[in-house]
Amino acid sequence: MEHPSKSSVLLLGLLVLGALAVLTAVEFAIALTVNIWQVLAVIPIIKAALVFYYYMHIYRLFQAETNVDRESFAYKLATNRIGLWLFLISDSFIFGGLMISRINLLGLTRPDLIQVLGLVVTSVLLISSFFANRTEVSMEYGDRKQFILSISLTISLGILFLIGVLGVEWRLAPFGPETNLAGAIFYIMTGFHAFHVFTGVIFLAIVLRNGLRGLYSAEKHWAVEASVVYWHFVDVVWFFFYPALYLIGTLAK
Amino acid sequence: MRKLYSIGLIRGLLWQILGTAIGIGILTGIRFLLHLPVWKAESAFVFGALLGALFFVYGIGAVDDWIKVAAGKEIHEADESSWGRLRYFGVSLDHKVIGIQYLVLSLVLMVVGGSFAMLFRSELANTGMQFLTLMEYNTLMSLHGMVMIIGILVGVAAFMNYLVPMMIGARDMAFPRLNAFSFWLAVPASIILLSSMALGGFDTGWTGYPPLSARAPIGIQMFFLGVSLAGMGTILSSLNVITTAIRMRASGMTGFRLPIFVWGSLATSLISLTATQLIGLSFQMVMFQRLFGMGFFDPAKGGNPILFQHLFWFYSHPAVYVFVLPGLGIISELLPVFARKPLYGYKWVAISSFGIALIGFLVWGHHMFASGMAQYLRVPFMYSTLLVAVPTGVKFFSWLGTLWRGKIVFPVPMLFVLAGIVVFLLGGLTGPPNATVATDLQLTDTYFIVGHFHDTMFGGYIFPFFAAIYYWFPKMTGRRLNETLGKIHFWLMAPAFIILSSMMMRTGLLGMRRRIADYDPTLNITNDHRVMTVAGFLIALGILVFIINAFWSRRNGEIATGNIWNSRSPEWQVPSPMPVHNYDKPFEVVGEPYDYGLPDSVYVKFMEEE
Repeated sequence: MEHPSKSSVLLLGLLVLGALAVLTAVEFAIALTVNIWQVLAVIPIIKAALVFYYYMHIYRLFQAETNVDRESFAYKLATNRIGLWLFLISDSFIFGGLMISRINLLGLTRPDLIQVLGLVVTSVLLISSFFANRTEVSMEYGDRKQFILSISLTISLGILFLIGVLGVEWRLAPFGPETNLAGAIFYIMTGFHAFHVFTGVIFLAIVLRNGLRGLYSAEKHWAVEASVVYWHFVDVVWFFFYPALYLIGTLAK
Repeated sequence: MRKLYSIGLIRGLLWQILGTAIGIGILTGIRFLLHLPVWKAESAFVFGALLGALFFVYGIGAVDDWIKVAAGKEIHEADESSWGRLRYFGVSLDHKVIGIQYLVLSLVLMVVGGSFAMLFRSELANTGMQFLTLMEYNTLMSLHGMVMIIGILVGVAAFMNYLVPMMIGARDMAFPRLNAFSFWLAVPASIILLSSMALGGFDTGWTGYPPLSARAPIGIQMFFLGVSLAGMGTILSSLNVITTAIRMRASGMTGFRLPIFVWGSLATSLISLTATQLIGLSFQMVMFQRLFGMGFFDPAKGGNPILFQHLFWFYSHPAVYVFVLPGLGIISELLPVFARKPLYGYKWVAISSFGIALIGFLVWGHHMFASGMAQYLRVPFMYSTLLVAVPTGVKFFSWLGTLWRGKIVFPVPMLFVLAGIVVFLLGGLTGPPNATVATDLQLTDTYFIVGHFHDTMFGGYIFPFFAAIYYWFPKMTGRRLNETLGKIHFWLMAPAFIILSSMMMRTGLLGMRRRIADYDPTLNITNDHRVMTVAGFLIALGILVFIINAFWSRRNGEIATGNIWNSRSPEWQVPSPMPVHNYDKPFEVVGEPYDYGLPDSVYVKFMEEE
């Protein structure tokens, strides 16, 4: 397989990040001004499509098989990819169920949350996704220093996100899980998502430790790819949860 | 003592007890530190049970290899051939061992769930309360439902694990460690589910609808937790089956040369991979509602109990297709063997499994016609439900077409297959009255539904399941199950079951409500109930004969190492019991799978090594 040049991959990663940032800003502006829920529902889909294609490389699932030897690394890698994506499909049903519960119970109202904090944690997670992409790319190009720097940044930003949601928002929210429906929905949605972020951080930390010991190479780094794809997936979930919790509708009483 | 500890299952159970104790301790400690009232039984038991399950899978060693990978160590596949019988009691990565482990667990669960049925069936033999309290009755009735469902899920996994890699010519499943993990999750999950009896039981039926489940005794939490964990195992195992069927097929095995059972397994796995998450979510939401006071389904806080029913039935209706699709696959698999004729309309049968699965995602609302959901939703759900009859009808036509003018022989597996078809037809024909809104409003929550449901389960799962055991037992052990005992089992079970389910429907039409512990003597159905109770015990007697048969034949049965059924399927072309790594030589698929009775037709050809 022929690799594009290193700088063009970096440029592509930055472009995607820029597009995601612009879309998030548009989302925020629409929410503050006209608050048309249809637009706020479509923007996350566009963002998810960008991440699926450019960061999670969904097209790799459909690439023609070059190696048909069952015991080869390439064949097993393709099998592993299918397994991981099936897991993500399955997982997305639980988040879909949470979204349906939110729509059913809250409709066009939303919990009373700190808007600035919401924007900050969303940006933190977005940027972490960019560095997760850098992690994978630098591993592909065998750039060890870049790899360690990027994955450390990804983990730190992930932890920062957890502090923002669990440490600040959960503490400052004017309601508890038992106060009202908005509280119940807010805590279960952020709770399920934070649990996934937490497992992603652990996964990345294990990959970092093994990467420091030199267990991955430019050719064989399935664990790196898996942890990064999982991380992107968790980010995509937040693309949908952020407008659902912070932006759509009027304040719930 | 050390020898005992080296047995995986016992080690796991000890660790589970330890984990439960630690969990209860940790939670109580946290409450102490937070200056809350120290003892809160509900959260302590939930956290304890969860930690107990995790400790179980760790203690038995199901995650050892993953921990090693995470620690950056090399992992090797252990040579299991020297372990002997003990490998069935510990973590094994061989799909055949895991399949048999699943099978045994499934039989144990179904015997337990069946005994619950015997208990409350005896209670119903007379009006008034005989020997059970109302709460005991409710607990047994609810647990009968869920224990049987988990038992069936485990049994489905048993045959998918055992047969799919063999039929497609793979050495093992795509992810052997994940496979072992999913099985060993089912064991603590079953224990947690059954432990609900010790914690006050619960009275909601297997559906666990709030608001009743929000104020049932603590036992309901064990029910929710056990089902969530078992569901997690099902999801992972179906992920494994799909990947295996996509990636590990022998060369030449194109989509329309796949055995029908593999098609059925794929369709089943597609449902359990996705929809299972929603029953897990709905149960966890009630768990959280009870633990933290979140108001999802609490009308006093603005919550919506109907939402629970939507989330719940989104899985629980497709779940019945999870149960029956592999069973229908087994019927299609076995019929051509015993009719010595090609399977009629192979392609349509293959596609119909997916048809049933996909339509199955759109029909959940028919369980809620009387629930108070929006009225305009009733009609679309009615039509989508009636639509399921089309792909199911395709299967029936295929079976009839296969039998038509065949040279039919009647060994025990064939008897069970034929009974499966008849009973499933009964279940199928009593379905449309429940799917049609006008009649369903009369029939809902009566014994008619109970009869219909048991017909579909026995026809679609239990009878094919026993057919499969009688058919593949030689493959597992190298010995055949005794034919005479098998016939006794069949003639005890099949007529008794048909009487039982017909009587259920009859009493339902006469006014017997489902799930209740007592009924009005003036309904004049006491005698019907007595007949049902006797029929139920006859079924149990049949199962007992089967269990004796299995134990006896495993040691003393007629030796059967060859292709005793004269099947074309690849697993019968090699000696029984199956060699450790399935096929020494890879095979190539060169023909159609079910061309029985056609001269010069070959399905698989083993490649000679150069």
